[in-house]
Amino acid sequence: MAQEQSAGSGQGFAGDSGVSRIRGRVFEWLTLGATVFGLVMVTALLAYVFNDAIRPFSADPLWHLVYATTVVLPALVLLATYYTSDEPAGEVAIASTGIPIVGLVAGSGLVVLFIELLTPADWFGLVVGLVCAAAVVRLHQLTRPNAAVERLFVIVLAPLLAITGIPAMNIQRTFSSPLTTTEIVTIDAATPSLLPSVGDVLRPLLTAVPGWVLLVAAVTLPVATLFGRQVAARRGDGRGVREVVVGSVGLVAVGSLVAPLFGLAPQHWVLLATTAVLPTGVYLEGVVRRRTGVLGVAFPIVLGAGLVLGTALTNAFGLAGPSSWIGWDFLTSPTSITPEDAGIYPPLVGSVLMLVVIITLVFPIGVGAAIYLEEYAPKTGARGRLVELIEINIGNLAGVPSVVYGLLGLGLFVKGIGLDSGIVIVGGLTVGLLILPIVIISAQEAVRAVPDSLRRASYGMGATKWQTTRNVVLPRALPGILTGTILALGRAIGETAPLLMIGAAASVRLAPNGFFDKFSAMPRQIFAWSSEFDPDFRFGVLAAGVVTLLLVLLLMNGTAILIRNRYQRSD
Amino acid sequence: MVENDFDRPGASPENASTAHSTARGLDAETAAEQPTAAAVESSVAETPTTESNAGDSSASHPSSERQSAGGSTAAESTNGIISARDLDVYYGDERALRDVSIEIRSERVTAIIGPSGCGKSTFLRCFNRMNDLIQSARVDGRVEFEGTNIYDDDVDPVALRRRIGMVFQQPNPFPKSIFDNVAYGLRTQDDTENLDERVERALKRAALWDEVEGDLDKSALDLSGGQQQRLCTARAIAVDPDIILMDEPASALDPIATSKIEDLIEELAEDYTVVIVTHNMQQAARISDRTAVFLTGGELVEYGDTDQIFENPESDRVEDYITGKFG
Repeated sequence: MAQEQSAGSGQGFAGDSGVSRIRGRVFEWLTLGATVFGLVMVTALLAYVFNDAIRPFSADPLWHLVYATTVVLPALVLLATYYTSDEPAGEVAIASTGIPIVGLVAGSGLVVLFIELLTPADWFGLVVGLVCAAAVVRLHQLTRPNAAVERLFVIVLAPLLAITGIPAMNIQRTFSSPLTTTEIVTIDAATPSLLPSVGDVLRPLLTAVPGWVLLVAAVTLPVATLFGRQVAARRGDGRGVREVVVGSVGLVAVGSLVAPLFGLAPQHWVLLATTAVLPTGVYLEGVVRRRTGVLGVAFPIVLGAGLVLGTALTNAFGLAGPSSWIGWDFLTSPTSITPEDAGIYPPLVGSVLMLVVIITLVFPIGVGAAIYLEEYAPKTGARGRLVELIEINIGNLAGVPSVVYGLLGLGLFVKGIGLDSGIVIVGGLTVGLLILPIVIISAQEAVRAVPDSLRRASYGMGATKWQTTRNVVLPRALPGILTGTILALGRAIGETAPLLMIGAAASVRLAPNGFFDKFSAMPRQIFAWSSEFDPDFRFGVLAAGVVTLLLVLLLMNGTAILIRNRYQRSD
Repeated sequence: MVENDFDRPGASPENASTAHSTARGLDAETAAEQPTAAAVESSVAETPTTESNAGDSSASHPSSERQSAGGSTAAESTNGIISARDLDVYYGDERALRDVSIEIRSERVTAIIGPSGCGKSTFLRCFNRMNDLIQSARVDGRVEFEGTNIYDDDVDPVALRRRIGMVFQQPNPFPKSIFDNVAYGLRTQDDTENLDERVERALKRAALWDEVEGDLDKSALDLSGGQQQRLCTARAIAVDPDIILMDEPASALDPIATSKIEDLIEELAEDYTVVIVTHNMQQAARISDRTAVFLTGGELVEYGDTDQIFENPESDRVEDYITGKFG
């Protein structure tokens, strides 16, 4: 069909030269159709869910008009000007708006963490412990520069002892066979605490110190130091670390004295300022110094001013906004029997805590396995075939249905080890196992993508395998590893079936404040709402929950994309 | 294997002054006792006492049978620094090098030329055991550096590569700053005294300093291809190796960048021993003092002074290759 003329009229090359492109065209249109179909479906789904959750049409039309003129129109005009005349300014505009928003969300996450899990004193003790451990390692490096094996022990043991000390142990456990329930072994042992951790030593001394001071020391100071070094590196002259650190710490400290006047707890201010204000400041410093796209800074200012103006106008004229299901109350209250009062706070915290477990489990194991398989594992011979078998099975594990992993978690962690069902750590471990193969595979891809020429260059310089992995392979593969891990975490946060299997609660009134508490996660709560009788639950609250989940996912994926772009540009 | 086959105390790379490259085996202990410059006594080294060691492939050939291909003018004293003897390399079942014996002279440029696939890059990689990184590669025979067979079990290839640097065909700077690239080797070896000064010296030595002086913190990937290759050379000489191996260092570069690299190689030969693989015969003729010609099948066909190889080769096959009749 397509080639019929090619033999006959092969001579001419003008006009109808007989070169057939029909199949190519058809293929092109088909692929375009598939792409458009996917896009339309996703958009329709999102529009449907957002409409249910936010109910924009319940607002006064004038309300829409006011915000359209004060916020949307100026923003669109500005963006259009940026992209027609001053492209760098457009990038600056997006970044200088996005960084504070992402920072605020991350800061809110930290606030949750510090309310629910850690006191500032605990965190301070942890950071001081790590600093002490680093000092011990450094000291060892200086006094015994050649004792490599010994240093390995120091590197592992020093942080461990600094953080946990040697705690009192009191083990009373009976291990029994899961099938026959006959007793296998009973352990009953108790040892007193031999060494207090750095945190334990510090805690009595810190009772008089206000929490925000500790947070400034243990959160703002390290972050500001990192930013300071980044600024110094960008400037190229290595100066500016001290200015940035002193400036940031001063700003945050002064702010925490002022914050109570605006109804913000000083501790919360410290966290929010560290995650939102400092990065924005550092970014703007770079923009101003490079003098490219400075006009983009106008965008967030216009946006903020428009919001303030719009709010003032709608309040003045008494225009009703949409009666949205999702809002501050929804995010900060537990679920309820009345849809109007229902919220998603406990499952939100549950999901975040579960993510903490997953990250601490999956990142080191997954990345470690990927590096071993790519860099160290034998490729030939009998052991090479074994490695190949393992790799194939990791691929298979990635395809095992999540409900099966739920069963595994139930059998392994609840029935086997004897942890309580439905607690955070069981959920985290189970879902962690589920995404582990995905993390391994994506990290392997990232490590494999490091050009061999770089490895050869490093070996050619007389670097050992470890030095090559550490200094050449890992830095180069890290953005890919991070992107893959974050995407896998995005999948983890949406998993429902394993949570059902391990007995996570449908809804909990109190947010978990430890890893051994009963918890509910967002998808589990959404599933529970879907079986409520009241249609307001099924169509309103549920949609709001879905939107919350999607926003968290979007945020994580956005972070992944930012990381990828950032490192790709620096190459 | 670890035990040495030849026992000739007193011999050192200094005293081989015969036309033929001589087989010199020192065991590790002897080498340690005999610093290179200390041995003044000249010894006729044609037939070292041979103690055959069953299982060692190189021991099966008495050294008197061994001759380097091609005669060289005996006038100048030759300072051998590294030599290969009966070197065979296999990739799986395929034999990439056949019985290669050669002695590389110190502080000279030695060019290795030959058609594609003749094993010249494989041969170069034998000198710093880069073939170890290729899983299917197997090396038989000896490569002697300072009297030690570098393929002995107790030789650490990492330590060896710190003495024998390498520059690759494609410029392969690390995605780090220019400074960090040059400092990489020194930092790897925990040798960071006067780091700034030594980086500057290496860059000056590699004729790159004037072009990058103010931009040491810029990414090395922003440099042009020729600059990157000189950076890779700077990186290799920053750790002050004894030998620099170059695997077609100019083949990916334009003529101007190539001529800069060639100038650089000639300068480097004042302080370092340079072994360069090239498929460009004019380049070999321009910059090298000695030339080894490999032909298909991984054979070293002729090895001698560059002038003699290019003007009056002994082997007809080499003449055909040099005059462009094949290859």
